[in-house]
Parts: sequence; structure tokens; C-alpha cells
Amino acid sequence: MLNEIVFYVNDKKIVFNGNPLTRLIDVLREDLELTGVKEGCGEGECGACSVIKDGKLVTSCIIPVGAVNGSRIYTIEGIRDTEKGRCIIEAFAEGGAVQCGFCIPGMVMAAYALLSSNPHPSEMEIRKGISGNICRCTGYDLIVESIKLASEKGGELWA
Amino acid sequence: MGMTYIPSTLGEALLLRAETGAHPLAGGSDLMVQSKRGIALAPEFPFPVMIITGLDELKGITLLDDGSVEIGALTTPAEIASSSVVPWHVREAASGMGAIALRNSATIGGNIGNASPKGDLPQPLILLDAEVVLISVHGERRMLLDDFILGSKKTALGDDEIIKSVVIPKHDFSYLFYRKIGMRRANAISKLSLSAAAVVKDDEIIDFRAASGAAGPKVIRSREAEAILKGHMREEIPALMDTFLEAWNNAISPHAMPLYRRNTTKRMLAYFLSAIHEGKEEGIIREDS
Repeated sequence: MLNEIVFYVNDKKIVFNGNPLTRLIDVLREDLELTGVKEGCGEGECGACSVIKDGKLVTSCIIPVGAVNGSRIYTIEGIRDTEKGRCIIEAFAEGGAVQCGFCIPGMVMAAYALLSSNPHPSEMEIRKGISGNICRCTGYDLIVESIKLASEKGGELWA
Repeated sequence: MGMTYIPSTLGEALLLRAETGAHPLAGGSDLMVQSKRGIALAPEFPFPVMIITGLDELKGITLLDDGSVEIGALTTPAEIASSSVVPWHVREAASGMGAIALRNSATIGGNIGNASPKGDLPQPLILLDAEVVLISVHGERRMLLDDFILGSKKTALGDDEIIKSVVIPKHDFSYLFYRKIGMRRANAISKLSLSAAAVVKDDEIIDFRAASGAAGPKVIRSREAEAILKGHMREEIPALMDTFLEAWNNAISPHAMPLYRRNTTKRMLAYFLSAIHEGKEEGIIREDS
């Protein structure tokens, strides 16, 4: 039986002793002050709270912290200074993908997960890759274009 | 509010289940949402909960010697969708569940145990006569998934049991059909879903089966309707079509079901049957959408 939960966030070891049903997003935002993780719907539908858990995209608002023992979690703060993270963020800036910006950390995480598993996605694959991320400003086209740009500019980075 | 436990092994989980009645929480995609309380507040449950997400004994997909496939309860839709041994209907349903992030955290055991009429996986599993393996401190038992799911949100799970795995028997279908209809192409809850399959040998319909999802309190199979077609020849399909469709419509009748769902179900079944009648190349029958 586990009495404390040990996991890694952006390569930093975290030991959690509180209520195991605490939502991962609340540990990230409230305890670790990683406020790039946004809460939109709180139901796993909008993707604003997306993080990468053990290499896979997940929504941190529906995961209890008790379910991440031993996991490696990366948030936008953990990837923004990596080569891949910078590639996506610069492509988003160049492509004009950002309006209000609320959905963007989640979009970047979804793009990161997509390009890491599929370096040269088609437009349809990009749209599917971000189908769990809702944006109310852009109409998605410039985000899709920007992910395409990140795929092209990144080149070998994603291979 | 109940206690929350995190068992480290399946044995611990079974003891906890027997002693405290703790409800298993796997991916959290249903339970965490049903009991959410808002920003910076942990969900509360009126019963004890055990978080079983980490139990490796309940993960993975195995091809068994007899050709059947066993899927551990904690296997995710993403893993199911990308497996080469899982039958096509089930992969198709798994790949259409929610969006990527949900497919990485939801589980097959949760989708079955939650027994939502709109759940995506029970429909193809019931089509394929899948069995569910239940485990407790007293041992294991198996039953047809169609018998395990009793109705909307109701299952035959014992107070001391948890879902261990799902076993899908081997089939060799000549024709296969699956369609989920939601409000958008991705990240949508089923409005309606249908899977169907047939075995045709020397123009005789050896097997015909269909399953409707989101069409009632649980997945609809109708052996009576299926029997109308079985044993008949391919060329008899037009003559049997109306009788079959009427029988299917009656099978999904008991509760008020909007007309569009009935009509769409009929249309899809008629499309699939026409493809068989016309002698289309064997394999997956897709509607042009």
C-alpha cells in the first residue's frame, strides 16, 4: 500500500503526502506553481490542462495524483526551453497561431506529443492530433499551419 | 466521504475490495468527472476508493493459444487501437473514443464497469461474444459481457470483485462493418453506433450478427433478428430485408428512441446487407460519408 506518492515533474522529484484524489492539475498549479497548465472545462474535454505523462499526452484535470506514482510528467514549463519546445513555440509565433493564448500551452503539448510520434503529419493528422484541444479564438487554421511549420523547420529534431 | 487507498499489488487490491468495498478507480476519466467539485478541490466520493492505475497485473494484451485475445482491465483505448492482435471492430471503436489524451488514460475495465449506454467498447465486444473475467479473493469467474452489463450503469459485479480482463473469442468474418455517429468526427460522445459482421461461405450466410450502441439502456443484440438471416442464401437477402429490419427495429423499441436513430440504424444495416447481397469484395464495408 502506498502512503506517499513519488513522481517527477519536469525532472524534479516530488513527494506528495496529501489526499491521493487531489487532481494532478491542482498539484501542478497550486503546489508547484506551474501556472502554464490551464484549467478550462475540468472534465478532460478541452485540453487546456494537457501535460505529458510517461511520454503520452493526458489531461491533468481528470487524473488523481494517486495515479501518477513513479511517473514522469512534463508541463509547458518543462519543454519550453528544450530544442523541440522552442521549435514549436517559435513556429506558433511565426505562424500567428496565438490570439488570447489560454489554449496555447495545451496546444503546444499536443503538438509536441504529435510531432514526437509522427514527425511529418498530414493536415488531417494534425487536426486529429489537436482534436482534444479546444480554441475559441483562432478557428484552428493558423494553429494547424504553425504545427506544419514546426514539423518542416524542426526537420531532424523530430525524426 | 470514504477513505482512499493505493494498493501496490493485485492481491492487496482484492483484500481491500473484500474488506472495505472500495470502488476501483482506474483512468479517472469517468469517476473524476462525475465527482468533481471544482478548481483546487479534490473530488469526493460517498464510498471508499482504491486507485488501481499502477497495477501491472491488469495491463496488457495477450494472444492466447486458441486464437482468442485477452485484454487486461487497465489497458487503454490507445493501446487497444494500436494493437495488431485485437479484432478490427474493437480497434475501430477504441480509436474513436474521445480524443488522444482521453485514449491515453481511460481503460477498457472502466468503460465496461461504468456501463454507460454510450460507452464505446461494450458495443463491439458484445458483437464478438466477449467474456469478462472477474476476480476476487475467492478466485475468478467468467461471464458473457452481454450478461455482465445489466442496464444503464448497472453490472453484475460482486461486492468483492474487480474486473480483471476481457477475453474476445476468435472469429473469421467475411464482412465487417462499424460506424459511430457523434456530433463531430473526433472527441464526440456517441449519438448512435452500429457494428455488424457476417460469415458467408458458398453464398450461404453462415453467421450474421449486429450490435447497436447508445440505442437503449445497454447494447442491443437480437438473436431473433439474426436468426432471420442465418442459413439463408446471399440471393435471398432482398426478400428477407424488411422482415430483418423490422425485427431489429423491434429489438431496439422498448424505450422511446428518436426516429432519426431508428432510421439511421435501419439505413446502415440495409447498406451492409446490400453490400453482401451484391457480392462485394470480402472485408470491411465502409459507407461513403
